[in-house]
Amino acid sequence: MKKEFQIPSSLSEVPKTSAQVLDFLKPLKLTEGEIFDVRLCLEESLINSMKYGNALKPEIPVRLILEYTDTELKMTVEDHGEGFDTRKIADCTKEENLLKQSGRGIYLIRQLMDKISYNAKGNCLSMVKYLGKQAKA
Amino acid sequence: MEVKALEENGFSVFQVTGEINISTSPELRKAFEKQSSKKVVVDLEKVTYIDSSGLATLVEMLKKTKAQGGSLGLAGMTDKVKSLFEITKLDKLFSIYSSRAQALTQV
Repeated sequence: MKKEFQIPSSLSEVPKTSAQVLDFLKPLKLTEGEIFDVRLCLEESLINSMKYGNALKPEIPVRLILEYTDTELKMTVEDHGEGFDTRKIADCTKEENLLKQSGRGIYLIRQLMDKISYNAKGNCLSMVKYLGKQAKA
Repeated sequence: MEVKALEENGFSVFQVTGEINISTSPELRKAFEKQSSKKVVVDLEKVTYIDSSGLATLVEMLKKTKAQGGSLGLAGMTDKVKSLFEITKLDKLFSIYSSRAQALTQV
């Protein structure tokens, strides 16, 4: 199954979009843990794209593509920004960074998804979650 | 999200219900800024979802409390919410208690 969304870059669109996405994913019968992880990673990536990629300009959309099979969910989030090098983001788990305010969103995505990749420009993030690893609630 | 600010045994207690996310975390920050106690407990038992903005808000509350010579404990979080603290290593930064009652005796 595949579905594409074009989302205005406004933070109020984030919860609406994640609700639509979780509705679309209902046939997968995700566990509570999987729903939490998918929602968190989706919302963190949308917020990053809207804020840093599209400067919160509602007229500039974020493109979201969802693809799933019984065993795998792929979410691709693309903005119209210049892109960035995620290797430059400080490791938020290092002691000297624990009190910092930023950097946790992308770190959580790396930890909660099974595979992530960026395009060469750095404005398109693909996230893959393998399904069925967590026990059903 | 709903934040109830209470005084209990000389502590400022913030009982949070619902989701702490980019839209709601300013409300928690605002409630926190109204208090001046040096002993603070944030009861997260009824928090169902937290994102990086919510985590950052709690870090900010901890920093401000410590800067005033106080202490802040987090209480009663669900396993899923707690796992985010563990993944981000924030469990090393915060004093985390299994319940509000425990926090009120140990913070």
